[in-house]
Amino acid sequence: MRNWWKRREDLLPQQETDELIRLENLVKIYDTGVLKVMGLKKINLTIRRGEFVAIMGQSGSGKSTLMNILGCLDRPTMGHYYLDGVDIASLSSDELSAIRNRKIGFVFQSFNLISRTSALKNVELPMTYARKSKKERRERAIELLERVGLGQRVGHMPNELSGGQRQRVAIARALANEPPLILADEPTGNLDTAASVEIMELFSRLHEEGATVVVVTHEEDIAEFTGRIIRFRDGQIISDQVNEHPRERRKEG
Amino acid sequence: MLLENMKMAFHAIRVNKMRSFLTMLGIIIGIGSVISIVSIGDTMRSLFSSLYKDVGLSQAYISIGYWIEDVRDSDYFTMDELDRLKEIFGDRIAYIDSAPSISGEVKAGGNKLKFNLSGVDYNYQNVQPVNMIYGRYLTEEDVKARKQVAVMEAGAAKKIYGTEQAVGRTFRTEVYGSMTEFTVVGVYKKEVNAFQKLLMGSSDDTGAAFVPWTLLTWPNDLIYSCRLFADPGMSREDMNQLFQEIMFYIAKSKGRNSQDFRLTTAMDEMVQVDSVMGGLSAAVGGIAAISLLVGGIGIMNIMLVSVTERTREIGIRKALGATTRDVLIQFLTESAILSACGGTIGIILGIGVVFVGGNALGLQVVVKPAVVLLAVTFSAMVGIFFGIYPASKAAKADPIEALRYE
Ligand SMILES: Nc1ncnc2c1ncn2[C@@H]1O[C@H](COP(=O)(O)OP(=O)(O)OP(=O)(O)O)[C@@H](O)[C@H]1O
Ligand SMILES: [Mg+2]
Repeated sequence: MRNWWKRREDLLPQQETDELIRLENLVKIYDTGVLKVMGLKKINLTIRRGEFVAIMGQSGSGKSTLMNILGCLDRPTMGHYYLDGVDIASLSSDELSAIRNRKIGFVFQSFNLISRTSALKNVELPMTYARKSKKERRERAIELLERVGLGQRVGHMPNELSGGQRQRVAIARALANEPPLILADEPTGNLDTAASVEIMELFSRLHEEGATVVVVTHEEDIAEFTGRIIRFRDGQIISDQVNEHPRERRKEG
Repeated sequence: MLLENMKMAFHAIRVNKMRSFLTMLGIIIGIGSVISIVSIGDTMRSLFSSLYKDVGLSQAYISIGYWIEDVRDSDYFTMDELDRLKEIFGDRIAYIDSAPSISGEVKAGGNKLKFNLSGVDYNYQNVQPVNMIYGRYLTEEDVKARKQVAVMEAGAAKKIYGTEQAVGRTFRTEVYGSMTEFTVVGVYKKEVNAFQKLLMGSSDDTGAAFVPWTLLTWPNDLIYSCRLFADPGMSREDMNQLFQEIMFYIAKSKGRNSQDFRLTTAMDEMVQVDSVMGGLSAAVGGIAAISLLVGGIGIMNIMLVSVTERTREIGIRKALGATTRDVLIQFLTESAILSACGGTIGIILGIGVVFVGGNALGLQVVVKPAVVLLAVTFSAMVGIFFGIYPASKAAKADPIEALRYE
């Protein structure tokens, strides 16, 4: 009965490879009943540990579709997605929950904070689902909120925060369980330029600290922060370039 | 995690205070009415049983059956016959008389009062004791010599003489057509609650007094029914056995079948009344339980609304790593807490109503812990049962679909 409450650690595959993400002939088809929409057409892609990647492309080109699959929120129709060497297609939905909880930090365009719940509680949530102790949760959540510059806003409700602040809470929440992979789907889409720059500098710093970060964006100067830019059109990769000189983040101090 | 879930549930309930309260209202009313109705029933039962104990549970009446067409004089009893019964059955009969009583207007000085005079033997005090406050009870001498004396209830004495100390005072009343003067030799006090007054039909404006029963059989000396008390130490079976033997003896001595006589025992009557009352309160309680069902459906309804409203929240939770089970338990906890809170308030309210009502009537209220326990368990079960569908709906939600929900 005890164990029933505990998350089963053995649900989490433990392999480690240099390739954090590998996609092989990945296809996603949306079956709307009337017609089938090809979201992604045979994608092959490898992202190594510690990379900072931007994904660009027109609206409807399949960026969010890809991010949802990378984030284990959705499953591919065909092909394989290896995360940390594990084929996601073979996992049950509870195992996917465990992976989302431990290996992935997702940042959304619309923030997706839980309303009427304080910033602190929002950041604690992934740790709650990881069955961390109350003390550990609280300490880490406060530390994370301080790290994103919201040390003074710990008890605020989402509707008491600006867009940029909300997105920073969301980032703190994504970092809660120290996931190796950070995914952000248009994280600056709802923010003005100044806030966007702040958010991207935050991702940049995370990258420097060793995280693998994948960011979807429409804006070239946002993509400039990253070290690799992948462009999509009609569900396919049309270019994959290294950005030799990523935009420097301002040094603090 | 359970604690965490309970915190989340309380949070969700607090965020929507008014709605939560309205949802609970169904359960509050349901549990409240079940508790109060069942408790009222239990209180009535205990009142009835104390009433019967008061009257004497070893008591029985025997008379010629009302269904007998050709009733003869010999079907009635005489005083000698009662004496003989007492001789034959000895100590097993604790007391025997004809249970006579008359009611009429009593006059003393210029005062008048309606009175109920009960004819009893001197040893009636052994089987139905009253609390003597002045003077003495009837004596064997009073009864044998048919003395015109009375033992009067204190309240009546106060009304008619202006004082409870009425020993030595006299009153006049009509006994079987002739004016008779009685002398008060004793005064007793009897506490009765509102319920007993109601049931015994004795109201405040009717006085009560005991007089020798031998006075009230006059003039024809024939007795319609015989009242007897078995030795109260006997078991129920022994008592029934005794009553059957007496019936048999009487029938034989009167040349009839024992089926021609009617036996009414206090015990049988009490069991009967009790089972009727029990059945009644169970039935009404059952009907009240239907309101609980309605309350449960209310919970289900609100939980469904809440799940739909919070689809996005569910999507976020799943995206952050909540499993199907995490979400299921979160919503189940919420509905269980809703109905448990409603149940608790309902119990307090129900018991409160019963106690306030009981106090107003001066009754000793009976609230059985088992009933309360049952109500609590039932309300939590209602919450969980009616929470299952909405919670599983929430738990099954696909994270992507849920996140896309507007
Ligand atoms: N749930 C769905 N059902 C049906 N079709 C869908 C669904 N989600 C996406 N699509 C389709 O898949 C294609 C890719 O959509 P996607 O959301 O990945 O685009 P995107 O690149 O993220 O666009 P944007 O920049 O506007 O966010 C589109 O043609 C879209 O209509
Ligand atoms: Mg998109």
